[in-house]
Amino acid sequence: MVTTVYAPEYALYDFGPAHPFTPLRQQMLLGLLEALGRAPACAAPAPATREEVLTAHDEAYVAAVEAASDGPARGQGGRFGLGTLDVPVMPHMDFAARTLAGGTLHGARLISEGAARRVLQLGGGLHHAQRAHASGFCVYNDLSMAIRRFEQQKMRVAYIDIDVHHGDGVQALHYADPNALTISLHEAGQYLFPGTGHVHELGEGDGLGFKLNAPLEPSTTGESYLEVFERVVPHALAWFAPDVLVVVCGADAHYRDPLADLLLTTHDFERLFRRLVELADRYAQGRALFTLAGGYDLDASTRIWALLYHVLAEKPLPDALPEDWRAEWSARLGRPLSARLHDAAPDLRPPDHEAIANQNRFSSRRLLEMAVRYWL
Amino acid sequence: MLVRDIMHSPVVSIGADARLDEAYARMQSYRIRHLPVLDGERLVGVVTDRDLRLATSALHPHPFQSGAEVREVMTREVVTAAPLEPVEEAARVMRDRKIGCLPVLEGERLAGIITGPDLLDALIELTGMSAPSGRLAVELGEAPGQLVRLIDAVDAAGAEILSVLSYPDRTQHPHVILRVDTLHTHMLADRLRAADFDVSWPPHKAW
Repeated sequence: MVTTVYAPEYALYDFGPAHPFTPLRQQMLLGLLEALGRAPACAAPAPATREEVLTAHDEAYVAAVEAASDGPARGQGGRFGLGTLDVPVMPHMDFAARTLAGGTLHGARLISEGAARRVLQLGGGLHHAQRAHASGFCVYNDLSMAIRRFEQQKMRVAYIDIDVHHGDGVQALHYADPNALTISLHEAGQYLFPGTGHVHELGEGDGLGFKLNAPLEPSTTGESYLEVFERVVPHALAWFAPDVLVVVCGADAHYRDPLADLLLTTHDFERLFRRLVELADRYAQGRALFTLAGGYDLDASTRIWALLYHVLAEKPLPDALPEDWRAEWSARLGRPLSARLHDAAPDLRPPDHEAIANQNRFSSRRLLEMAVRYWL
Repeated sequence: MLVRDIMHSPVVSIGADARLDEAYARMQSYRIRHLPVLDGERLVGVVTDRDLRLATSALHPHPFQSGAEVREVMTREVVTAAPLEPVEEAARVMRDRKIGCLPVLEGERLAGIITGPDLLDALIELTGMSAPSGRLAVELGEAPGQLVRLIDAVDAAGAEILSVLSYPDRTQHPHVILRVDTLHTHMLADRLRAADFDVSWPPHKAW
């Protein structure tokens, strides 16, 4: 059983037709689920309030986002990372960003009040947003707001980020926070945005040892990815004993993603999602809030998130995708779409895959060696 | 980046007439390996933990006692650095002379000291990043004006350049690493390739 959160107003968070972080992604996904006869009943959330936004962001930054929402004037936006290639100013920027955050907060509210255990927020996951700076398509950090809400209810949060980019905003906002364990698996910072997420970033003060980063080599395949996941995540959860998981399900580690360089297939994502559900059941009494995030190949991302929904809802996976849906979206996107939910299991192993797997093994071992010193 | 930006100041030093065991204890307590030796205010030598251990070793033909004076075992020919010297120049001197530290003199006065690990810190800072950013690596050819053309092309794509690092590759052509304020590095790379740049990161995706 999964409770799904979505509001049509999420579509306001739209940086324009040329921008990869497009609300078409959710529209395609919901269209697919409907065509499969699995349209979820979505709880419609209220936008996050200004007070809730201020649990993650500085007042001056929020004021700049509000000012940027009213007109084209960029004003002081540059100081706050607004009006850039990645975060252009959009109409209703503040409201749109609060709407996405409202969904994630609604999921957190349902779980902390005991009204739901497993929640899928069909949006959000804006993990790059910093306290006083927009970054990497992200304006307000919905994840940090949700973590703060759980913490207000005295719940300990394990944050697991499988988006291909380092979850730098969440890590920075909770760097000294011992009630939030953050784990990010991502393409290594020396190759990919945002450049951070090295194993030595372990937290500070009371938060030391509670921030874990598993950087992965470019061209990492699913096999090596899952090996690293298994080496790090279950141990960390067993040690930390969370009350709830917050899971950021970016789909951009997929091999067809146009922004990154890992080589996961839909089969790897299915394994990952099933494992995350098991871990939530085993270590957090089944309480878990899943969000979307990055994922820029529309065909792959839609299939991966449809998979996520089916796994969370414990429904059998479809095989062929509905013809009508494919025809509609092929025409809209001007490109053919996959006929089946799963990738056709291509052999993606690059010639140096052994060396890549060895390097990933080395990094994850080093991470654990460094972190366990603080776990005693 | 200049020597004065990375040097340690004030400096832990020792008097020329101090005993060897005093010098050793000072190194131990500050967890350091190099002590500039002063005669009054004047720099007269450098003593390292290796000097002390060799001088007092049973392997030494005439071992010194721990009560001997530092001036008897110190290196007198001190190689120094100046505060406004670039760090790469200081690094080159340390490599050429095979030494582990450079006392920094401001006129006659001992103003600071740099050691090997300080240069590693400088390397981390010079090659590092200060803001969330993506990475582009481009091999520039020998035609003049390539760097300007590259920067113009990145600017025209709407990305902000946060740092530029360049070093010669094996063919002596500049290998340039840009940090840019965007996740769209693949898009930028494709645009640069279309403008005939040799982009080595991120790779072109076959699918």
